[in-house]
Amino acid sequence: MSRRETTLDPAVAAELAELERALAGEPSPFTALVADVHAERPVMTPAFAAKLDARVDEARAAPPRRSWLAWSPLGGLAAALVVAVVVVSNRDGGSSPSTESSSPAGSHASSSTEDSSAKAAAPQSAAGAATSQAAPAFGSPAARKVERSTSLALSTARADVQGVADDVIATSQRFGGIVESSQIATSDAEASAVFALRIPTKRLDEAIAALSKLAHVASLSQGSTDITGSFVSASSRLGDARAERRGLLKALGRATTAQEIDALKLRLRDNRSQIAALKGELNGLRRRADLARVDVTVSGNGHKGATGGGSWTPRDAAHDALRVLEVAAGVVLVGLAGGIPIALIGALGALAARSARRRRREGALDPV
Amino acid sequence: MATATMALPGRHQATSSFEALYRSCGADLYAYVASLLHDRTAAEDVTALAFERALRKRRSFDSGRGSERAWLFGIARNAALDELRRRSRTAALLAEPPDEAVSPGDDDADRRATVRAALAALDARERELIALKFHAGLTNAEIAVVIGVGESAAGTRLHRAVTKLREACNEPS
Repeated sequence: MSRRETTLDPAVAAELAELERALAGEPSPFTALVADVHAERPVMTPAFAAKLDARVDEARAAPPRRSWLAWSPLGGLAAALVVAVVVVSNRDGGSSPSTESSSPAGSHASSSTEDSSAKAAAPQSAAGAATSQAAPAFGSPAARKVERSTSLALSTARADVQGVADDVIATSQRFGGIVESSQIATSDAEASAVFALRIPTKRLDEAIAALSKLAHVASLSQGSTDITGSFVSASSRLGDARAERRGLLKALGRATTAQEIDALKLRLRDNRSQIAALKGELNGLRRRADLARVDVTVSGNGHKGATGGGSWTPRDAAHDALRVLEVAAGVVLVGLAGGIPIALIGALGALAARSARRRRREGALDPV
Repeated sequence: MATATMALPGRHQATSSFEALYRSCGADLYAYVASLLHDRTAAEDVTALAFERALRKRRSFDSGRGSERAWLFGIARNAALDELRRRSRTAALLAEPPDEAVSPGDDDADRRATVRAALAALDARERELIALKFHAGLTNAEIAVVIGVGESAAGTRLHRAVTKLREACNEPS
Protein backbone atom coordinates (compact mmCIF):
# COMPACT_ATOMS: atom_id res chain seq x y z
CA MET A 1 0.00 0.00 0.00
CA SER A 2 1.57 3.20 -1.10
CA ARG A 3 -0.61 5.52 0.90
CA ARG A 4 0.73 7.05 4.05
CA GLU A 5 -0.39 5.09 7.06
CA THR A 6 -1.72 6.95 10.07
CA THR A 7 -2.27 5.57 13.51
CA LEU A 8 -5.84 4.64 14.32
CA ASP A 9 -7.42 6.64 17.10
CA PRO A 10 -7.48 4.46 20.27
CA ALA A 11 -11.18 5.11 20.83
CA VAL A 12 -11.95 4.14 17.25
CA ALA A 13 -9.77 1.07 17.57
CA ALA A 14 -11.57 0.06 20.74
CA GLU A 15 -14.98 0.38 19.10
CA LEU A 16 -13.83 -1.56 16.09
CA ALA A 17 -12.58 -4.27 18.41
CA GLU A 18 -16.04 -4.42 19.95
CA LEU A 19 -17.51 -4.67 16.50
CA GLU A 20 -15.19 -7.58 15.73
CA ARG A 21 -16.38 -9.32 18.90
CA ALA A 22 -19.98 -8.88 17.90
CA LEU A 23 -19.26 -10.24 14.44
CA ALA A 24 -17.57 -13.22 16.10
CA GLY A 25 -20.74 -13.90 18.09
CA GLU A 26 -19.41 -12.67 21.39
CA PRO A 27 -21.34 -10.26 23.65
CA SER A 28 -20.76 -6.69 22.56
CA PRO A 29 -22.57 -3.36 22.37
CA PHE A 30 -22.73 -3.99 18.63
CA THR A 31 -24.44 -7.37 18.90
CA ALA A 32 -27.89 -6.01 18.12
CA LEU A 33 -26.66 -3.90 15.25
CA VAL A 34 -24.81 -6.85 13.76
CA ALA A 35 -27.92 -8.99 14.03
CA ASP A 36 -30.10 -6.29 12.48
CA VAL A 37 -27.77 -5.68 9.56
CA HIS A 38 -27.24 -9.39 9.09
CA ALA A 39 -30.97 -9.80 8.76
CA GLU A 40 -30.78 -7.49 5.74
CA ARG A 41 -28.05 -9.54 4.13
CA PRO A 42 -28.91 -10.39 0.50
CA VAL A 43 -29.02 -14.14 0.04
CA MET A 44 -28.55 -15.91 -3.28
CA THR A 45 -31.39 -18.12 -4.46
CA PRO A 46 -30.82 -21.86 -4.98
CA ALA A 47 -31.47 -21.35 -8.68
CA PHE A 48 -28.71 -18.76 -8.90
CA ALA A 49 -26.38 -20.93 -6.82
CA ALA A 50 -26.79 -23.72 -9.36
CA LYS A 51 -26.34 -21.32 -12.25
CA LEU A 52 -23.21 -19.90 -10.64
CA ASP A 53 -21.81 -23.41 -10.22
CA ALA A 54 -22.32 -24.04 -13.91
CA ARG A 55 -20.69 -20.77 -14.98
CA VAL A 56 -17.73 -21.27 -12.70
CA ASP A 57 -17.29 -24.85 -13.90
CA GLU A 58 -17.31 -23.62 -17.46
CA ALA A 59 -14.77 -20.92 -16.69
CA ARG A 60 -12.64 -23.44 -14.83
CA ALA A 61 -12.43 -25.61 -17.92
CA ALA A 62 -10.95 -22.76 -19.93
CA PRO A 63 -7.16 -22.44 -19.78
CA PRO A 64 -5.84 -19.45 -17.91
CA ARG A 65 -5.19 -16.54 -20.18
CA ARG A 66 -1.63 -15.44 -20.45
CA SER A 67 -1.06 -11.75 -20.59
CA TRP A 68 0.56 -10.40 -23.75
CA LEU A 69 3.23 -8.95 -21.50
CA ALA A 70 4.24 -12.49 -20.63
CA TRP A 71 5.04 -13.15 -24.28
CA SER A 72 6.91 -9.90 -24.89
CA PRO A 73 10.32 -11.16 -23.67
CA LEU A 74 10.00 -14.18 -25.94
CA GLY A 75 8.99 -11.94 -28.82
CA GLY A 76 11.94 -9.68 -28.23
CA LEU A 77 14.29 -12.63 -28.05
CA ALA A 78 12.88 -14.08 -31.27
CA ALA A 79 13.23 -10.74 -33.03
CA ALA A 80 16.81 -10.41 -31.83
CA LEU A 81 17.59 -13.92 -33.04
CA VAL A 82 16.08 -13.23 -36.44
CA VAL A 83 18.13 -10.06 -36.81
CA ALA A 84 21.25 -11.86 -35.64
CA VAL A 85 20.74 -14.68 -38.10
CA VAL A 86 20.11 -12.25 -40.94
CA VAL A 87 23.17 -10.20 -40.11
CA VAL A 88 25.40 -13.21 -39.62
CA SER A 89 24.19 -14.83 -42.79
CA ASN A 90 25.34 -11.66 -44.53
CA ARG A 91 28.47 -11.46 -42.46
CA ASP A 92 30.52 -10.87 -45.57
CA GLY A 93 29.38 -7.33 -45.04
CA GLY A 94 31.32 -7.24 -41.83
CA SER A 95 34.62 -7.52 -43.58
CA SER A 96 33.54 -4.84 -46.02
CA PRO A 97 34.30 -6.39 -49.33
CA SER A 98 33.87 -3.84 -52.02
CA THR A 99 32.96 -4.25 -55.57
CA GLU A 100 33.64 -1.45 -57.88
CA SER A 101 33.94 -0.96 -61.53
CA SER A 102 36.07 1.82 -62.76
CA SER A 103 37.93 2.87 -65.78
CA PRO A 104 41.03 4.93 -66.13
CA ALA A 105 40.85 8.59 -66.84
CA GLY A 106 39.97 9.30 -70.38
CA SER A 107 37.87 6.24 -70.75
CA HIS A 108 34.24 6.58 -71.54
CA ALA A 109 33.24 3.73 -69.33
CA SER A 110 32.63 4.20 -65.69
CA SER A 111 30.20 2.50 -63.41
CA SER A 112 30.27 1.78 -59.76
CA THR A 113 28.23 -0.51 -57.58
CA GLU A 114 28.47 -1.54 -53.98
CA ASP A 115 27.25 -5.02 -53.38
CA SER A 116 28.49 -6.90 -50.39
CA SER A 117 27.73 -10.23 -51.92
CA ALA A 118 30.28 -9.45 -54.59
CA LYS A 119 29.44 -12.57 -56.45
CA ALA A 120 28.74 -13.33 -60.03
CA ALA A 121 25.97 -10.83 -60.58
CA ALA A 122 28.05 -7.82 -59.68
CA PRO A 123 30.85 -8.33 -62.11
CA GLN A 124 28.42 -9.09 -64.83
CA SER A 125 26.39 -5.99 -64.27
CA ALA A 126 29.42 -3.85 -63.78
CA ALA A 127 31.10 -5.15 -66.86
CA GLY A 128 27.94 -4.85 -68.84
CA ALA A 129 27.56 -1.27 -67.80
CA ALA A 130 31.13 -0.55 -68.61
CA THR A 131 30.84 -2.09 -72.01
CA SER A 132 27.64 -0.36 -72.88
CA GLN A 133 28.91 3.02 -71.77
CA ALA A 134 32.25 2.69 -73.43
CA ALA A 135 30.97 3.75 -76.82
CA PRO A 136 33.66 5.48 -78.80
CA ALA A 137 32.98 8.47 -80.95
CA PHE A 138 33.52 6.43 -84.07
CA GLY A 139 32.89 2.92 -85.31
CA SER A 140 29.95 0.63 -84.79
CA PRO A 141 29.35 -0.92 -81.36
CA ALA A 142 30.26 -4.30 -82.69
CA ALA A 143 33.60 -3.02 -83.88
CA ARG A 144 34.51 -1.35 -80.63
CA LYS A 145 37.60 -2.58 -78.93
CA VAL A 146 37.38 -2.44 -75.14
CA GLU A 147 40.10 -3.58 -72.85
CA ARG A 148 38.78 -4.91 -69.58
CA SER A 149 40.68 -5.43 -66.38
CA THR A 150 39.67 -6.88 -63.07
CA SER A 151 41.31 -6.94 -59.70
CA LEU A 152 40.00 -9.56 -57.32
CA ALA A 153 41.14 -9.98 -53.73
CA LEU A 154 40.25 -13.22 -51.98
CA SER A 155 40.81 -14.04 -48.36
CA THR A 156 40.84 -17.45 -46.75
CA ALA A 157 42.45 -19.38 -43.98
CA ARG A 158 46.20 -19.43 -44.14
CA ALA A 159 46.26 -23.19 -44.57
CA ASP A 160 43.93 -22.97 -47.53
CA VAL A 161 45.90 -20.48 -49.61
CA GLN A 162 47.69 -23.17 -51.62
CA GLY A 163 44.44 -24.93 -52.36
CA VAL A 164 42.74 -21.73 -53.44
CA ALA A 165 45.78 -20.84 -55.57
CA ASP A 166 45.53 -24.18 -57.36
CA ASP A 167 41.84 -23.55 -57.90
CA VAL A 168 42.57 -20.11 -59.36
CA ILE A 169 44.89 -21.64 -61.94
CA ALA A 170 42.46 -24.43 -62.75
CA THR A 171 39.60 -21.98 -63.10
CA SER A 172 41.63 -19.75 -65.37
CA GLN A 173 42.45 -22.69 -67.61
CA ARG A 174 38.86 -23.89 -67.57
CA PHE A 175 37.77 -20.61 -69.15
CA GLY A 176 40.54 -20.66 -71.74
CA GLY A 177 42.72 -18.20 -69.88
CA ILE A 178 46.40 -18.14 -69.27
CA VAL A 179 48.47 -17.42 -66.24
CA GLU A 180 50.86 -14.63 -67.13
CA SER A 181 52.51 -14.69 -63.75
CA SER A 182 52.00 -16.19 -60.35
CA GLN A 183 53.66 -15.79 -57.02
CA ILE A 184 52.88 -17.78 -53.89
CA ALA A 185 54.44 -16.93 -50.55
CA THR A 186 53.83 -18.81 -47.31
CA SER A 187 55.14 -18.36 -43.81
CA ASP A 188 54.07 -19.39 -40.33
CA ALA A 189 52.14 -16.21 -39.83
CA GLU A 190 50.43 -15.78 -43.17
CA ALA A 191 50.32 -16.90 -46.74
CA SER A 192 49.48 -15.12 -49.95
CA ALA A 193 49.33 -15.69 -53.65
CA VAL A 194 49.30 -13.19 -56.50
CA PHE A 195 48.27 -14.01 -60.04
CA ALA A 196 48.17 -12.08 -63.28
CA LEU A 197 45.73 -13.87 -65.52
CA ARG A 198 44.55 -13.33 -69.02
CA ILE A 199 41.00 -14.49 -69.53
CA PRO A 200 39.10 -14.36 -72.82
CA THR A 201 36.97 -11.26 -72.57
CA LYS A 202 33.91 -13.11 -73.78
CA ARG A 203 34.08 -15.41 -70.77
CA LEU A 204 35.33 -12.88 -68.26
CA ASP A 205 32.10 -12.59 -66.30
CA GLU A 206 31.76 -16.34 -65.95
CA ALA A 207 35.37 -16.62 -64.90
CA ILE A 208 35.06 -13.85 -62.29
CA ALA A 209 31.94 -15.51 -60.92
CA ALA A 210 33.78 -18.81 -60.65
CA LEU A 211 36.85 -17.21 -59.08
CA SER A 212 34.67 -15.37 -56.57
CA LYS A 213 33.34 -18.66 -55.34
CA LEU A 214 36.76 -19.98 -54.45
CA ALA A 215 37.06 -17.96 -51.22
CA HIS A 216 35.74 -14.97 -49.37
CA VAL A 217 35.74 -11.95 -51.66
CA ALA A 218 37.52 -9.14 -49.87
CA SER A 219 37.31 -6.75 -52.78
CA LEU A 220 36.53 -6.71 -56.44
CA SER A 221 37.17 -3.91 -58.83
CA GLN A 222 36.69 -3.83 -62.54
CA GLY A 223 37.71 -1.36 -65.15
CA SER A 224 37.42 -0.93 -68.85
CA THR A 225 39.31 1.14 -71.35
CA ASP A 226 38.07 1.89 -74.79
CA ILE A 227 40.94 1.27 -77.22
CA THR A 228 38.91 1.53 -80.38
CA GLY A 229 40.57 4.82 -81.29
CA SER A 230 44.03 3.39 -80.97
CA PHE A 231 42.98 0.32 -82.92
CA VAL A 232 41.43 2.33 -85.76
CA SER A 233 44.38 4.62 -85.84
CA ALA A 234 46.83 1.74 -86.06
CA SER A 235 44.70 0.04 -88.72
CA SER A 236 44.59 3.21 -90.72
CA ARG A 237 48.31 3.70 -90.47
CA LEU A 238 48.84 0.08 -91.45
CA GLY A 239 46.61 0.61 -94.48
CA ASP A 240 48.59 3.68 -95.41
CA ALA A 241 51.86 1.80 -94.98
CA ARG A 242 50.60 -1.03 -97.14
CA ALA A 243 49.42 1.43 -99.80
CA GLU A 244 52.81 3.07 -99.67
CA ARG A 245 54.45 -0.33 -100.06
CA ARG A 246 52.36 -1.03 -103.12
CA GLY A 247 53.36 2.32 -104.57
CA LEU A 248 57.00 1.77 -103.77
CA LEU A 249 56.91 -1.65 -105.43
CA LYS A 250 55.35 -0.16 -108.54
CA ALA A 251 57.94 2.59 -108.53
CA LEU A 252 60.66 0.02 -108.12
CA GLY A 253 59.33 -1.80 -111.18
CA ARG A 254 59.54 1.38 -113.13
CA ALA A 255 62.97 2.43 -111.81
CA THR A 256 65.75 2.46 -114.37
CA THR A 257 68.77 3.76 -112.59
CA ALA A 258 70.72 2.03 -109.86
CA GLN A 259 70.48 5.11 -107.68
CA GLU A 260 66.74 5.15 -108.07
CA ILE A 261 66.50 1.45 -107.25
CA ASP A 262 68.68 1.76 -104.16
CA ALA A 263 66.63 4.64 -102.85
CA LEU A 264 63.36 2.73 -103.37
CA LYS A 265 64.75 -0.40 -101.69
CA LEU A 266 65.76 1.70 -98.72
CA ARG A 267 62.26 3.15 -98.43
CA LEU A 268 60.79 -0.34 -98.86
CA ARG A 269 62.90 -1.59 -95.99
CA ASP A 270 61.68 1.24 -93.79
CA ASN A 271 58.17 0.55 -94.95
CA ARG A 272 58.46 -3.12 -94.02
CA SER A 273 59.65 -2.17 -90.58
CA GLN A 274 56.77 0.27 -90.24
CA ILE A 275 54.23 -2.36 -91.35
CA ALA A 276 55.69 -4.91 -88.97
CA ALA A 277 55.55 -2.43 -86.12
CA LEU A 278 51.98 -1.49 -86.93
CA LYS A 279 50.99 -5.16 -87.19
CA GLY A 280 52.54 -5.73 -83.81
CA GLU A 281 50.73 -2.74 -82.43
CA LEU A 282 47.45 -3.99 -83.86
CA ASN A 283 48.00 -7.48 -82.54
CA GLY A 284 48.78 -6.06 -79.16
CA LEU A 285 45.60 -4.02 -79.19
CA ARG A 286 43.59 -6.99 -80.39
CA ARG A 287 45.05 -9.11 -77.63
CA ARG A 288 44.22 -6.45 -75.04
CA ALA A 289 40.64 -6.44 -76.26
CA ASP A 290 40.30 -10.18 -76.53
CA LEU A 291 42.04 -11.14 -73.32
CA ALA A 292 41.05 -9.33 -70.17
CA ARG A 293 43.61 -8.84 -67.49
CA VAL A 294 42.62 -10.33 -64.18
CA ASP A 295 44.80 -9.73 -61.14
CA VAL A 296 43.97 -12.13 -58.35
CA THR A 297 45.31 -11.81 -54.84
CA VAL A 298 44.74 -14.54 -52.31
CA SER A 299 45.54 -13.58 -48.75
CA GLY A 300 45.75 -16.19 -46.06
CA ASN A 301 45.09 -14.18 -42.95
CA GLY A 302 41.35 -13.85 -43.33
CA HIS A 303 38.58 -16.17 -42.41
CA LYS A 304 37.02 -18.50 -44.85
CA GLY A 305 34.25 -17.22 -46.96
CA ALA A 306 30.85 -18.80 -46.78
CA THR A 307 31.45 -20.27 -50.16
CA GLY A 308 35.05 -21.00 -49.67
CA GLY A 309 36.45 -24.45 -49.75
CA GLY A 310 37.74 -26.47 -46.87
CA SER A 311 36.05 -27.64 -43.75
CA TRP A 312 34.36 -25.62 -41.05
CA THR A 313 36.86 -25.66 -38.23
CA PRO A 314 36.31 -25.02 -34.52
CA ARG A 315 38.08 -21.70 -35.05
CA ASP A 316 35.48 -20.78 -37.64
CA ALA A 317 32.77 -21.87 -35.24
CA ALA A 318 34.24 -19.73 -32.49
CA HIS A 319 34.47 -16.81 -34.89
CA ASP A 320 30.85 -17.26 -35.94
CA ALA A 321 29.73 -17.60 -32.34
CA LEU A 322 31.56 -14.42 -31.45
CA ARG A 323 29.96 -12.70 -34.37
CA VAL A 324 26.51 -13.85 -33.26
CA LEU A 325 27.21 -12.51 -29.78
CA GLU A 326 28.41 -9.21 -31.22
CA VAL A 327 25.29 -8.88 -33.31
CA ALA A 328 23.04 -9.93 -30.44
CA ALA A 329 24.70 -7.40 -28.17
CA GLY A 330 24.24 -4.77 -30.84
CA VAL A 331 20.60 -5.65 -31.24
CA VAL A 332 20.11 -5.51 -27.48
CA LEU A 333 21.86 -2.13 -27.29
CA VAL A 334 19.81 -0.69 -30.12
CA GLY A 335 16.69 -2.19 -28.63
CA LEU A 336 17.46 -0.69 -25.25
CA ALA A 337 18.32 2.68 -26.71
CA GLY A 338 15.05 2.85 -28.55
CA GLY A 339 12.99 0.71 -26.28
CA ILE A 340 13.64 2.24 -22.87
CA PRO A 341 12.13 5.65 -23.66
CA ILE A 342 9.21 3.99 -25.40
CA ALA A 343 8.75 1.62 -22.48
CA LEU A 344 8.88 4.52 -20.03
CA ILE A 345 6.33 6.49 -22.00
CA GLY A 346 4.18 3.39 -22.29
CA ALA A 347 4.47 2.69 -18.57
CA LEU A 348 3.53 6.27 -17.73
CA GLY A 349 0.62 6.07 -20.13
CA ALA A 350 -0.50 2.78 -18.63
CA LEU A 351 -0.27 4.25 -15.13
CA ALA A 352 -2.23 7.31 -16.18
CA ALA A 353 -4.86 5.16 -17.89
CA ARG A 354 -5.09 2.93 -14.84
CA SER A 355 -5.45 5.90 -12.55
CA ALA A 356 -8.11 7.45 -14.78
CA ARG A 357 -10.00 4.16 -14.93
CA ARG A 358 -9.84 3.88 -11.17
CA ARG A 359 -11.15 7.42 -10.75
CA ARG A 360 -14.00 6.72 -13.15
CA ARG A 361 -14.89 3.56 -11.25
CA GLU A 362 -14.77 5.31 -7.91
CA GLY A 363 -16.98 7.97 -9.38
CA ALA A 364 -19.74 5.41 -9.64
CA LEU A 365 -20.03 5.55 -5.85
CA ASP A 366 -20.28 9.31 -5.73
CA PRO A 367 -23.72 10.81 -5.23
CA VAL A 368 -25.31 11.88 -8.51
CA MET B 1 -21.82 -25.72 -5.69
CA ALA B 2 -19.38 -27.78 -7.71
CA THR B 3 -16.91 -30.05 -5.98
CA ALA B 4 -14.09 -30.00 -8.48
CA THR B 5 -10.82 -28.85 -7.10
CA MET B 6 -8.37 -26.54 -8.72
CA ALA B 7 -5.25 -25.06 -7.31
CA LEU B 8 -4.94 -21.31 -7.39
CA PRO B 9 -1.51 -20.92 -8.87
CA GLY B 10 -0.07 -17.55 -8.18
CA ARG B 11 3.32 -15.99 -8.38
CA HIS B 12 3.71 -16.70 -4.69
CA GLN B 13 2.12 -20.07 -4.53
CA ALA B 14 -1.35 -19.53 -3.19
CA THR B 15 -1.99 -22.09 -0.53
CA SER B 16 -5.69 -22.68 -0.82
CA SER B 17 -7.61 -23.99 -3.73
CA PHE B 18 -9.88 -21.98 -5.91
CA GLU B 19 -12.64 -24.35 -4.93
CA ALA B 20 -12.15 -23.48 -1.28
CA LEU B 21 -12.16 -19.80 -2.13
CA TYR B 22 -15.28 -20.20 -4.21
CA ARG B 23 -17.07 -22.12 -1.49
CA SER B 24 -16.07 -19.77 1.28
CA CYS B 25 -16.70 -16.56 -0.61
CA GLY B 26 -19.60 -17.30 -2.94
CA ALA B 27 -22.44 -16.21 -0.66
CA ASP B 28 -20.45 -13.36 0.88
CA LEU B 29 -19.46 -12.03 -2.49
CA TYR B 30 -23.03 -12.09 -3.71
CA ALA B 31 -24.22 -10.29 -0.56
CA TYR B 32 -21.58 -7.59 -1.03
CA VAL B 33 -22.31 -7.10 -4.73
CA ALA B 34 -26.07 -7.09 -4.17
CA SER B 35 -25.67 -4.46 -1.44
CA LEU B 36 -23.64 -2.35 -3.81
CA LEU B 37 -25.92 -2.69 -6.81
CA HIS B 38 -29.37 -2.92 -5.19
CA ASP B 39 -30.36 -5.20 -8.03
CA ARG B 40 -30.51 -8.96 -7.63
CA THR B 41 -30.29 -9.78 -11.32
CA ALA B 42 -27.34 -7.52 -11.87
CA ALA B 43 -25.74 -8.81 -8.68
CA GLU B 44 -26.02 -12.38 -9.94
CA ASP B 45 -24.38 -11.44 -13.24
CA VAL B 46 -21.60 -9.50 -11.56
CA THR B 47 -20.95 -12.27 -9.02
CA ALA B 48 -20.59 -14.85 -11.75
CA LEU B 49 -18.46 -12.47 -13.79
CA ALA B 50 -16.18 -11.87 -10.83
CA PHE B 51 -15.53 -15.59 -10.38
CA GLU B 52 -14.94 -16.01 -14.08
CA ARG B 53 -12.45 -13.16 -14.11
CA ALA B 54 -10.76 -14.52 -11.02
CA LEU B 55 -10.34 -17.86 -12.73
CA ARG B 56 -8.95 -16.27 -15.86
CA LYS B 57 -6.58 -14.01 -13.94
CA ARG B 58 -5.63 -16.48 -11.23
CA ARG B 59 -2.00 -16.38 -12.30
CA SER B 60 -1.88 -12.70 -11.49
CA PHE B 61 -2.71 -13.26 -7.82
CA ASP B 62 0.09 -11.98 -5.62
CA SER B 63 -0.12 -13.09 -2.00
CA GLY B 64 2.25 -10.27 -1.10
CA ARG B 65 -0.47 -7.75 -1.88
CA GLY B 66 -3.20 -9.26 0.23
CA SER B 67 -5.27 -12.36 0.81
CA GLU B 68 -7.04 -14.29 -1.91
CA ARG B 69 -10.29 -13.14 -0.40
CA ALA B 70 -9.34 -9.48 -0.73
CA TRP B 71 -8.10 -10.12 -4.27
CA LEU B 72 -11.42 -11.72 -5.22
CA PHE B 73 -13.47 -8.94 -3.65
CA GLY B 74 -11.34 -6.40 -5.48
CA ILE B 75 -12.21 -8.06 -8.76
CA ALA B 76 -15.88 -8.12 -7.81
CA ARG B 77 -15.76 -4.48 -6.77
CA ASN B 78 -14.33 -3.43 -10.13
CA ALA B 79 -17.01 -5.40 -11.95
CA ALA B 80 -19.74 -3.94 -9.75
CA LEU B 81 -18.51 -0.38 -10.21
CA ASP B 82 -18.34 -0.91 -13.95
CA GLU B 83 -21.92 -2.13 -13.82
CA LEU B 84 -22.96 0.92 -11.80
CA ARG B 85 -21.30 3.21 -14.32
CA ARG B 86 -22.96 1.40 -17.21
CA ARG B 87 -26.33 1.71 -15.57
CA SER B 88 -25.82 5.36 -14.75
CA ARG B 89 -25.16 5.97 -18.44
CA THR B 90 -28.12 4.00 -19.72
CA ALA B 91 -30.93 4.36 -17.27
CA ALA B 92 -31.77 5.61 -13.86
CA LEU B 93 -31.40 3.07 -11.11
CA LEU B 94 -34.65 1.44 -10.29
CA ALA B 95 -34.52 0.40 -6.69
CA GLU B 96 -35.97 -2.98 -6.00
CA PRO B 97 -39.08 -3.07 -3.86
CA PRO B 98 -38.62 -4.31 -0.31
CA ASP B 99 -38.88 -8.04 0.15
CA GLU B 100 -41.77 -7.85 2.51
CA ALA B 101 -44.32 -5.35 3.55
CA VAL B 102 -44.14 -3.96 7.06
CA SER B 103 -47.27 -4.46 9.03
CA PRO B 104 -47.90 -1.92 11.76
CA GLY B 105 -47.37 -3.16 15.29
CA ASP B 106 -44.82 -5.84 14.32
CA ASP B 107 -41.69 -4.96 16.37
CA ASP B 108 -39.30 -7.12 14.36
CA ALA B 109 -40.62 -5.77 11.14
CA ASP B 110 -40.39 -2.22 12.46
CA ARG B 111 -36.84 -2.84 13.53
CA ARG B 112 -35.90 -4.23 10.13
CA ALA B 113 -37.55 -1.35 8.35
CA THR B 114 -35.58 1.05 10.51
CA VAL B 115 -32.31 -0.73 9.73
CA ARG B 116 -33.18 -0.80 6.05
CA ALA B 117 -33.92 2.90 6.11
CA ALA B 118 -30.71 3.57 8.01
CA LEU B 119 -28.74 1.61 5.46
CA ALA B 120 -30.45 3.45 2.64
CA ALA B 121 -29.56 6.75 4.31
CA LEU B 122 -25.86 5.94 4.13
CA ASP B 123 -23.96 7.05 1.09
CA ALA B 124 -22.71 4.43 -1.31
CA ARG B 125 -19.18 4.30 0.07
CA GLU B 126 -20.41 3.86 3.62
CA ARG B 127 -22.89 1.22 2.53
CA GLU B 128 -20.07 -0.59 0.76
CA LEU B 129 -17.99 -0.62 3.95
CA ILE B 130 -20.92 -1.98 5.94
CA ALA B 131 -21.43 -4.71 3.35
CA LEU B 132 -17.76 -5.65 3.34
CA LYS B 133 -17.66 -5.84 7.10
CA PHE B 134 -21.09 -7.16 8.06
CA HIS B 135 -22.05 -9.25 5.02
CA ALA B 136 -18.68 -10.40 3.73
CA GLY B 137 -16.84 -10.55 7.06
CA LEU B 138 -13.61 -9.06 5.73
CA THR B 139 -10.93 -7.89 8.10
CA ASN B 140 -10.01 -4.24 8.12
CA ALA B 141 -6.80 -5.07 6.31
CA GLU B 142 -8.74 -6.89 3.59
CA ILE B 143 -11.18 -4.01 3.29
CA ALA B 144 -8.24 -1.67 2.90
CA VAL B 145 -6.94 -3.78 0.00
CA VAL B 146 -10.35 -3.95 -1.65
CA ILE B 147 -11.06 -0.23 -1.58
CA GLY B 148 -7.45 0.76 -2.12
CA VAL B 149 -6.64 2.71 1.03
CA GLY B 150 -4.44 2.15 4.04
CA GLU B 151 -5.61 -0.06 6.87
CA SER B 152 -5.96 2.83 9.32
CA ALA B 153 -7.95 4.85 6.81
CA ALA B 154 -10.17 1.85 6.19
CA GLY B 155 -10.70 1.44 9.95
CA THR B 156 -11.52 5.09 10.38
CA ARG B 157 -13.99 5.10 7.51
CA LEU B 158 -15.58 1.91 8.74
CA HIS B 159 -15.96 3.33 12.21
CA ARG B 160 -17.57 6.45 10.79
CA ALA B 161 -20.03 4.40 8.75
CA VAL B 162 -20.90 2.13 11.67
CA THR B 163 -21.42 5.07 13.97
CA LYS B 164 -23.68 6.73 11.43
CA LEU B 165 -25.63 3.53 10.97
CA ARG B 166 -25.90 2.97 14.66
CA GLU B 167 -27.19 6.47 15.24
CA ALA B 168 -29.67 6.17 12.41
CA CYS B 169 -30.95 2.88 13.83
CA ASN B 170 -31.36 4.36 17.28
CA GLU B 171 -33.14 7.46 16.11
CA PRO B 172 -36.81 7.49 17.00
CA SER B 173 -38.87 6.88 13.89
